[in-house]
Amino acid sequence: MNQEPPLTRIHPLWSQLARHPAFLGALIGILAAFSQALLISAGGPEAYGFCVACHTRDLVNGLTNIIAGTNLALAAISKNSLLPVMSVAGVLIGGYISATLHREHRIKKGTIKDYFIYFFAGILVLNLAMIFGGCPYRAALRTGYGDFTAVLFIVAMAAGVVLGAYLLLKKAEREDA
Amino acid sequence: MATGILPVDAAVFFVPLVTLTLGLLIGYLAQRSGYCSIGGFRDYFLFRHTRLLSGYLALIVASFAGYFLFWLVVPGAMEHFFWATTSGPFVPVPGAPGGLVPAAYLLISIVTGFLVGLIAVLLGGCPIRLTVMASEGNYRAAWFFVGMCAGSIIFATIVSGWVVWFINALGFGA
Repeated sequence: MNQEPPLTRIHPLWSQLARHPAFLGALIGILAAFSQALLISAGGPEAYGFCVACHTRDLVNGLTNIIAGTNLALAAISKNSLLPVMSVAGVLIGGYISATLHREHRIKKGTIKDYFIYFFAGILVLNLAMIFGGCPYRAALRTGYGDFTAVLFIVAMAAGVVLGAYLLLKKAEREDA
Repeated sequence: MATGILPVDAAVFFVPLVTLTLGLLIGYLAQRSGYCSIGGFRDYFLFRHTRLLSGYLALIVASFAGYFLFWLVVPGAMEHFFWATTSGPFVPVPGAPGGLVPAAYLLISIVTGFLVGLIAVLLGGCPIRLTVMASEGNYRAAWFFVGMCAGSIIFATIVSGWVVWFINALGFGA
């Protein structure tokens, strides 16, 4: 009599899993390998299943090439395909859907100075990531693929985070005092 | 030329569709879990919290497992797996400016890695976290994303040329 419908029993488990970063990390790893196995015929590079910086570059440069007829550099897989890789557009839409469904969509404004800082930081981070050939996510994929230069990137990134976290701590202490 | 499960004609059609689906799933779950690679390291060093860091470590382990699994099933698609044994330990997977000596790639990895870590932690998240924050309605993160879009064009038109010139001037060109 008191039997719950299956969905409500599955739901708590799904909600727990969906909220755990390790679940998403494992999922990205497997799906990136799957998408390479599926799509690599369209063109390289390898270990390119998911990357925020590179896929943004491919999306922007690919669409600019199509619309304005320019010849900006992008990865072969995006160059050969009908449209460039769309994963970053997916991340934006997926994040928006999730935030709206769970009522976590909040407009947070900053100052004009903040916008300038974030805008130039965006330019800087993308260029640094492109010089290396990937954002932190592609670095992880490349590590999994067996590229040792990506391990160096991750170690150096951790060192950069330590310095940055130390600076944030100092700033917080100054503001407290 | 690597061959995957789909033939070329089908693959070029499916690339945008598959990557969009993948991105939707990742964006949805990243919003749920607050997924962030930089935040993982930051929380570990500041508070010894391992929750976010577990996500990044899981990504490394799972990507190895995934590539290994699909290398067994579809060896043609994983042409150079395991990279260090097929192509040399200090040669990066293509994607960065090509044609440099190994020492240059080691230098590039360390310098860019350090700067990306430093800048991202001061901004409050890695590129994916900021992208998701932009979709949650954070205007500062949205400007970061706009900056990344502008940076794509700037890199393709100006900076990539500078990098190759600079590395060659240092004597690292192959």
